[in-house]
Amino acid sequence: MARFSNKRYNVHVALIMAVYVLLVFFEWPHVKGVTDPVLKIALALVPALPVVGVIVLMGARVLRSDELQQRLHLIALGAATGLIAALSVVFSFLCAAHVLALAAEDVLFWIFPALCLTYGLTRMALSRRYGGTAC
Amino acid sequence: MLMENRVRELREKHGWSQGELGERLDVSRQTINAIETGKYDPSLPLAFKIARLFGSRIETIFDPGK
Repeated sequence: MARFSNKRYNVHVALIMAVYVLLVFFEWPHVKGVTDPVLKIALALVPALPVVGVIVLMGARVLRSDELQQRLHLIALGAATGLIAALSVVFSFLCAAHVLALAAEDVLFWIFPALCLTYGLTRMALSRRYGGTAC
Repeated sequence: MLMENRVRELREKHGWSQGELGERLDVSRQTINAIETGKYDPSLPLAFKIARLFGSRIETIFDPGK
């Protein structure tokens, strides 16, 4: 399987995320006004499609990486998952104790971006440690 | 503990850049750099591939040390 170049991967992700931003700004605000339940569900899920697309792209990139790259991806993903899991437990207890008042939908929306950010930063730090570029 | 190896020496003897060696082994330049600087030990299949490419025995390239 041919490897994904960083440039090709970044272009794909940027294009998909541009579509996501357009959907969130122009399609999402109209969802609440839709009365038909089937159409409402369909429209509500449309912005999730680009996100799923990025996840598939990330998976393809990892599968097409060499053994060191796969190891770095795995460590970064493990660190990101561990951190987000720990934070979710901490915030859950704080909310349950009524110390924090967070809306569930706001918290759920931020899980994926937080996971991506932590994963990206860890991956960058690991890459530098193993003598590679930041990406 | 990481192994010592002669990958850089053999690569330079063949006049290849890290990128060229990476292409021949189907790994990234970063992986070659990490192996040469002793930051990463290759898997057994990759170590055999390296040995085959340089026409040497695996133990003459990689030294696990004491």
